[in-house]
Amino acid sequence: MTKTYNEINQKIKSGEVVVVTAEEMIKIVEEDGIKVAAEDIDVVTTGTFGPMCSSGAFLNFGHSDPPIKFEHLWLNDVKAYHGNAAVDCYIGCTRMSDVRRFEYGGGHVIEDLVSGKSIRLRGNSYTTDCYPLAEIDTEFTLDEINQAILLNPRNAYQRYVCAVNSSDRSLYTYMGKLLPHYGNAHYAGAGCLSPLSNDPDYETIGIGTKIFLGGGSGYIIGEGTQHSPTNQFGTLFVKGDLKQMNSEYLRGVSFEKYGTSLFVGLGIPIPILNEGLAKKTAISDSELLTDIVDYGIPRRDRPKLRQITYEELRNEYIELNGKKVKCSSMSSQYYARKIAETLKKWIQEGKFFLNQPAETLPTDTIFKPMKQILEIKFVKDLKRKAIICYDDCELKTIAKRIINHNMNHIVITDRENTLKGIVTSFDITKAIAEEKTDIKEIITKKVITTSDNDPIDVAARRMKQNYISALPVIDENKKVVGIITSEELI
Amino acid sequence: MTVMNITLPFGVIKDISDYSRFINEILKFDITLNILKFSTGTSGINLLIDIPDDKIKSITESLKKNNIIVNKKGRIIIDTEKCIDCGACISLCPTDALNFDSEKRLKFYYERCIGCLLCLDSCPRYAIEEM
Ligand code: SF4
Ligand code: SF4
Repeated sequence: MTKTYNEINQKIKSGEVVVVTAEEMIKIVEEDGIKVAAEDIDVVTTGTFGPMCSSGAFLNFGHSDPPIKFEHLWLNDVKAYHGNAAVDCYIGCTRMSDVRRFEYGGGHVIEDLVSGKSIRLRGNSYTTDCYPLAEIDTEFTLDEINQAILLNPRNAYQRYVCAVNSSDRSLYTYMGKLLPHYGNAHYAGAGCLSPLSNDPDYETIGIGTKIFLGGGSGYIIGEGTQHSPTNQFGTLFVKGDLKQMNSEYLRGVSFEKYGTSLFVGLGIPIPILNEGLAKKTAISDSELLTDIVDYGIPRRDRPKLRQITYEELRNEYIELNGKKVKCSSMSSQYYARKIAETLKKWIQEGKFFLNQPAETLPTDTIFKPMKQILEIKFVKDLKRKAIICYDDCELKTIAKRIINHNMNHIVITDRENTLKGIVTSFDITKAIAEEKTDIKEIITKKVITTSDNDPIDVAARRMKQNYISALPVIDENKKVVGIITSEELI
Repeated sequence: MTVMNITLPFGVIKDISDYSRFINEILKFDITLNILKFSTGTSGINLLIDIPDDKIKSITESLKKNNIIVNKKGRIIIDTEKCIDCGACISLCPTDALNFDSEKRLKFYYERCIGCLLCLDSCPRYAIEEM
């Protein structure tokens, strides 16, 4: 059995088309079998609604009088990119406001624009003979500008990882707030509703495919950046007219201590041209796998703890190292469903037709890492020998060591070399002033540490964040293997 | 039993004897006391304790008298206009006060909230507000 795009579009026209969502398709195939489902069902709709950092919009304001050629411009204090003709710009969703910083960014500007709010435009120029205006400060709404085109170079990740944190402090990431010691888990992606998981071989999803984008319609214009279909991390490059979109499906967000982004609603209709597509669109959460990744290790290749299905992720708790860990999503299942349902309705009502891709997308690309010409340095390359005293020694011994070794930080261990604390020259001075004699009264027990394989930049950031100037280097058994101080970092 | 969230301010608890004084303060109500969680916060030691329902009032009063902070229940509100039902807050909540309803929309169960405020900075929409 095969169908053509034309046949399906004829059915949409005559109102006979049978459309179901990817969630509904699972049951249909289970009950009726692939053969019957392929005959009965014409289109399967998908949907996803999550933070998509590679999103933004091209805007054209028209010319002022006298004309200006922007050198720098801001929309509600968020800097827009300008490297095109005089009054074109691109507002990227992760750019944060110069004034409100983490609270408001390019994603919020796009949401405000689509919801009809007035946006303040400020810009300046070095001026030319043809563009003499040096500065402008004005306001505009979406209706008042020429073009507003959502243009997202990387959307609709086929799947995403599940993030956990092994470190000893809370991490604020683009995967949300991750509690220490595997305190919680966050995942993203729409699972069985994810567009690319329903057509993983890119039979129907290609350049020119018409899609649901931000509450309006848009098009796929190519593979997304970092497109990596070989390991199920395919992505899409999409565009659509902001003027017909709906702010319910374009929401600016701020991730604490990470930055801003944009939640984008995206859905793709998949024509059931053959039995193969009927089978693929019936994929369930239990068949979709992703990795649990430790964000506690601040490296590109973060350790993968294990594989997990989306079905397990949908439970409230996941199992990790024999422990129950509370797990929740970063992307909305409610809205993913709503998008698939809306798209279904549009097709049923004859408002949305399908088209054959002009060109298919590559299925063999991989995502290469950045080439770095300077070798990255690790703590083990720059650490020095820690000056150690035992936790039952006298303050005098510590003071002597500080002088003899010209070292500000003395690491305190037990006889087995296990880290017990740290004492600085300032602590000693204070002890003398306050006439204290017991090491227990002056030792700092909660020590911020690092390990051999931490990159130097990670150690430096940790010192800066904690306003300290040295970190003992410890191994996995808390044995002291050195110290790194701010002096080594200069 | 009811979970209560209390903070022992750093100034109030200086050593172990202060700590046992405070525990005795609760034990004098002749109850079994479960300490569910013990953590050090920015302003003091946070304790999640499990106490019998009928003793809430008297224990609260006695703790307050000893300068111990009893955090209110239901200390947050969700602005449903701003909420996008992403779920990013759910995994932070130790008591399942934040959870999805059957439609997968965020639901806040006021009576389960112990006011720990762990969820507060997890919401990318600033939809969670402290009361
Ligand atoms: S995490 Fe938030 S909702 Fe849950 S108990 Fe704490 S304050 Fe209440
Ligand atoms: S994190 Fe915020 S937006 Fe997301 S579900 Fe919770 S309250 Fe709603």
